[in-house]
Amino acid sequence: MAFTKGAPPGFHVEIIPPKQDSLKLEEDLELFASKFERVMDSGFTASITDNAMGLLAFQGHECIEELGLRPRPDQVLIHLNTFHTKRNLDEILESCEKLGITSILAISGDGSPRLPKLKPADVEAEGTASVTSVELTRYIRKHYPSFEVGIAFNPYEPEEHEFDKLNRKLDAGASFVITQPIIEQNAVVDRLLAEYPDLPVTVEAWMSKKLFLLSDVVGYPIPEDAAFDPIGTLEALRGLYPGCGFYLSLLGFKTQYPVIEEMAAERRERA
Amino acid sequence: MKIVVCVKQVPATTDAKIDPETKRIIREGTKSVLNPFDLYALEEAIRIREKAGGEVSVLSMGPESAKNVLTEALSMGADRAFLLCGREFAGSDTWATSYALSRAIEAIGGVDLIFCGKQAVDGDTAQVGPGIAAQLDLMQAANVSKVEKISPDAVTVSRMTENGSDLLRLKLPALLTVLKDINEPRVPTLKNARKARRAEITVWGPGDIGADPDLIGLNASPTRVVKTEPPAVRNTVTVKIGGAAPEAAKALVGELTGRGLL
Repeated sequence: MAFTKGAPPGFHVEIIPPKQDSLKLEEDLELFASKFERVMDSGFTASITDNAMGLLAFQGHECIEELGLRPRPDQVLIHLNTFHTKRNLDEILESCEKLGITSILAISGDGSPRLPKLKPADVEAEGTASVTSVELTRYIRKHYPSFEVGIAFNPYEPEEHEFDKLNRKLDAGASFVITQPIIEQNAVVDRLLAEYPDLPVTVEAWMSKKLFLLSDVVGYPIPEDAAFDPIGTLEALRGLYPGCGFYLSLLGFKTQYPVIEEMAAERRERA
Repeated sequence: MKIVVCVKQVPATTDAKIDPETKRIIREGTKSVLNPFDLYALEEAIRIREKAGGEVSVLSMGPESAKNVLTEALSMGADRAFLLCGREFAGSDTWATSYALSRAIEAIGGVDLIFCGKQAVDGDTAQVGPGIAAQLDLMQAANVSKVEKISPDAVTVSRMTENGSDLLRLKLPALLTVLKDINEPRVPTLKNARKARRAEITVWGPGDIGADPDLIGLNASPTRVVKTEPPAVRNTVTVKIGGAAPEAAKALVGELTGRGLL
């Protein structure tokens, strides 16, 4: 399993499906397919986003189906947020099952006026005011038990609040965690690893040189001209967190990807 | 059931800017989208077709780039798309636009039901839908929040009013303008989106719809825009409240009460 504790920690490469308003859809689909196949061939996990930042995009599973791509066992992670209709939610999960995809990342997600929000009754959570990743996780685990469900962990939120949320997500059936991006050793992530030694944790590494884009995530302004070395930072994080997988967001496929492949090959040789 | 949905390409609301000289919306270089209210009109039309059969055509008037919103409408499930395009139509106000669209609806022919969004988010007039109904001498209901029942010769709808709602039965053909309460528009599937991008969009000029050249365009438009201004920027105040949660909650309530917000 890609997200089982003890399995060799690997790279999870974020792939963003084409936008709904794309004026060059076929070209974008071709690019999606080439990235997907490359990730499969490298033995990494393709982590496919769901309307990231609330921007309307096509769903990962439909891109895979429509393009006739073949997900390899345990190498695809489909993100699923709470901005869907009930019908759409079940369609996505059923399609993923048929495609042999086994991992879902349940997240609350970013809304937009164009995206309907799941209602509590849709996921059998009538007692709650609104659907979060907790209710979504519980629903998936109950009705689609073949999926391993992962959840997000934000080390920049108030710490106790975040651990309380983590416990509720785990109680709902989540079995692995992906953190928000970190760029150095992080005390909250250290606590997570210490207190949950059996929980598979994947650390998100920021692969864009534009560090200031992380300002909203970390909660303080990062200057636009802040120097940042993504590959160097990733190497440092791998040293600090050797038992973790690494989620690579905004990875450059032309220049950074070959370096990542080399890193993985070196690790295999050492093993 | 033959249904026409009138749609409009509008600037994305967050990007809208007004030319200080001409007082018109600057459309060049601005991202355009399908008028949000029209999505609900289209969704309702598609749902009726799914239940009652028939076809849904989308109709727009605008520049060549308006094909993009028609493609989006086809992606959602419309069967055919028509664009009124040509410099003769440029500068049309709501009256001239209603006239041109009504000619196009007659050219499509045999239409049972016409849907429009409540209004376009750029002009905000809510006049074109009722204007089309007037041009075609059809029954109409504006601000429809629910289609209660539809039969081959009539439609029953709930219409929102300031005091509540009315239940109306309209003989077909008829025109409805709809509110956002009416449904949740679907998101296009990739399969439909690819098919839509290959679909042909029929482009019509004034001659194709039998429009009187004296009744379209700027010169045929009685409306004169005297002054247009962007809304004043609201001053926002950020108040940071620290401390433990119980004290912070009390401080927040105090702050909101003090400002008359609670």
